[in-house]
Amino acid sequence: MKKCKKMDDEKIKREKEKWEKKFEDARERDMKFQTDSGIPLKRLYTPLDVKGDYLEKIGFPGQPPYTRGAYPTMYRGRIWTMRLFSGHGTPEETNERWKFLYKHGETGFSAAVDALTFNGIDPTNEDGAAEVGTSGVPLYCIDNLFALTKDIPIDKISVALIVEPFTSAPVCSMYFNMAKKKGYDIKNLMGTTQNDILTMTVGFIPYKNVPPNHLLRLACDFIEWTVPMGNVPKWHPINFTGYNYREGGIDAVQELGFVFASACSHIDNLIGRGWKVDDFVNRLAFHLSAHKDFFEEIAKYRAARRIWAKLMKDRYNAQDPRSMQFRFHVQTAGSSLTAQFPKVNIIRTSIQALEATLGGCQSLHTNSYDEAICLPSEEAALIALRTQQVIADETRIANTVDPMAGSYYVEWLTDEIEERVWDYMEKMEKVGSIDKALSTGWLYKEMRDAFHKRQKRMERGEEISLGVNKYPVPYDEVTDVFRTNDEAMKIEIERIKNLKKRRDNKKLENILDKLRRVCEKEENVMPVVMEATKEGATIGEICDVYREIWGIWEPPLAI
Amino acid sequence: MSKPGIDGHWRGGIVVSRALRDAGMELIFGGFQNIDQIVETAIHEDVDIIGMSIHSGAHFAYTKKLMDKLKEKGLKDEFMVLLGGVIPAKDFKKLREMGVANVYGPGTMTSQIVDFIQNNLEK
Repeated sequence: MKKCKKMDDEKIKREKEKWEKKFEDARERDMKFQTDSGIPLKRLYTPLDVKGDYLEKIGFPGQPPYTRGAYPTMYRGRIWTMRLFSGHGTPEETNERWKFLYKHGETGFSAAVDALTFNGIDPTNEDGAAEVGTSGVPLYCIDNLFALTKDIPIDKISVALIVEPFTSAPVCSMYFNMAKKKGYDIKNLMGTTQNDILTMTVGFIPYKNVPPNHLLRLACDFIEWTVPMGNVPKWHPINFTGYNYREGGIDAVQELGFVFASACSHIDNLIGRGWKVDDFVNRLAFHLSAHKDFFEEIAKYRAARRIWAKLMKDRYNAQDPRSMQFRFHVQTAGSSLTAQFPKVNIIRTSIQALEATLGGCQSLHTNSYDEAICLPSEEAALIALRTQQVIADETRIANTVDPMAGSYYVEWLTDEIEERVWDYMEKMEKVGSIDKALSTGWLYKEMRDAFHKRQKRMERGEEISLGVNKYPVPYDEVTDVFRTNDEAMKIEIERIKNLKKRRDNKKLENILDKLRRVCEKEENVMPVVMEATKEGATIGEICDVYREIWGIWEPPLAI
Repeated sequence: MSKPGIDGHWRGGIVVSRALRDAGMELIFGGFQNIDQIVETAIHEDVDIIGMSIHSGAHFAYTKKLMDKLKEKGLKDEFMVLLGGVIPAKDFKKLREMGVANVYGPGTMTSQIVDFIQNNLEK
């Protein structure tokens, strides 16, 4: 067999050389042919570009190295989860939107929270009062979680709570306490917490959060308490969210480098606590971008699966095959959308959604066409959902597993990305664990360089954005602007006032004291945060304890 | 250049800051600041322009606060105020009426901002 292939290769090589010579002067456009992350591209790919052994490198879906998919039947077994990231105004209004999307076929929920919820600030605090509900749903106390999930069967449909390490314990404990009070056994609850240290440090900059080493501890406390300690074993306690920093302008290789380096730091922390990798790794999940470069994104997902399998097997000696399965959510690229001629965003999002599904994602968010301007209107959100449904129900792309495999170009690009990601991870590991990469400012410099590189490319027209730097049109005044409820601040302040009247303040003060002691030691914060939110503690009250004990961190931003 | 409030979208503010510096302007990057701190910095550093980067949707609230504060201090005409961020084009007119010199939405090229400042600051 092998001998036969070698003979074929030699024949192809000879013929290819002839072809190249014959068409040496054939016309090519005057531009650099390369991927978005700068990988130079040949005119043509042939069997000669696909190196290595099929069984070893590509294999079959549902088994190592998982290049072709995490599961053996993929979408023939079950269509990806259609999970729209959604939240605005108040939990009541968000609940209405969730039910609207559910009625139209959405199969998973995802709570987009406001800036106060991200940063652990109560609406009674002047700092953030003007932003209550403007960029997501406010989740400040347990009452908000009851309102958010009213009439929603949370035992049947999974919910993603998009909060990061600084507030994952308070917000998720409110959710778990709400579920318990409704009579559910939280051992059966399905869902995800984003809990990603890099989202609220380099994706967005943190407002009065604590230093990165404590954020890493909080993230790992949450993973430990839910999964290996068995309190909410079906939960995904972390979702390494390359998407959020990719939006800043880093490329596909850096995106995977960031998430894998971060994942390793968390795994090392948990191993340091005495757990085995197979105790928890199969519940770790990822959240990646689907950006503009169609084939590079597909190759990225395939490379990611192979890298993860190797990383878990070779570095961590994982035994359970599930520990080697890379499972991921995708969000289409918000930063590729334009406020100029926004309806074109529907086309951009469709193409990106196709990348995600051809790449084998487990769940998908599609952006609404108005998102370069405002939070999604109901109509725009429905079109975004329909985009996924067209792909799932009308195109038949879900009828066979990993249909892109075997393309000389895609296989070559998958290898190329894998190699570059290993190199980038090596570079990151020299800086140290992920909290060090933050506190030393290394990651901020990487982000800053990416910002400027992208901007230059846009201004020089090397990266095209239709409506902006090619066929420019004025910034659109026609599109309807969805406005969030400007009464939200008043409503949320009132909600907290009522809660404070109802709760046992003395009892709560004792619990918060206990939290202070736990924070000072190396104990897991979750049990006492569960107790506190059950008694009506607000997000600000818990995060203020963190601030008091660990101090406020000013990130070393670079311009 | 400041970010009023607590929203952490930071790319726009950094990109514009670098462009202004590259164009030879002196720039103070305030990061997160509340309106009082913004006005204090502006006075203390004797700046010509106050730039606010806002992606939270709360642009009317922060602009009103800033303008009220400047009025209160008798500094209404002392500074040119520029805004940038995810701000709907529909809102530009009202923001200008409130006293903002110009607003830059998504897809702005940094050269547009540099040109505007160079053409309008002396006047």
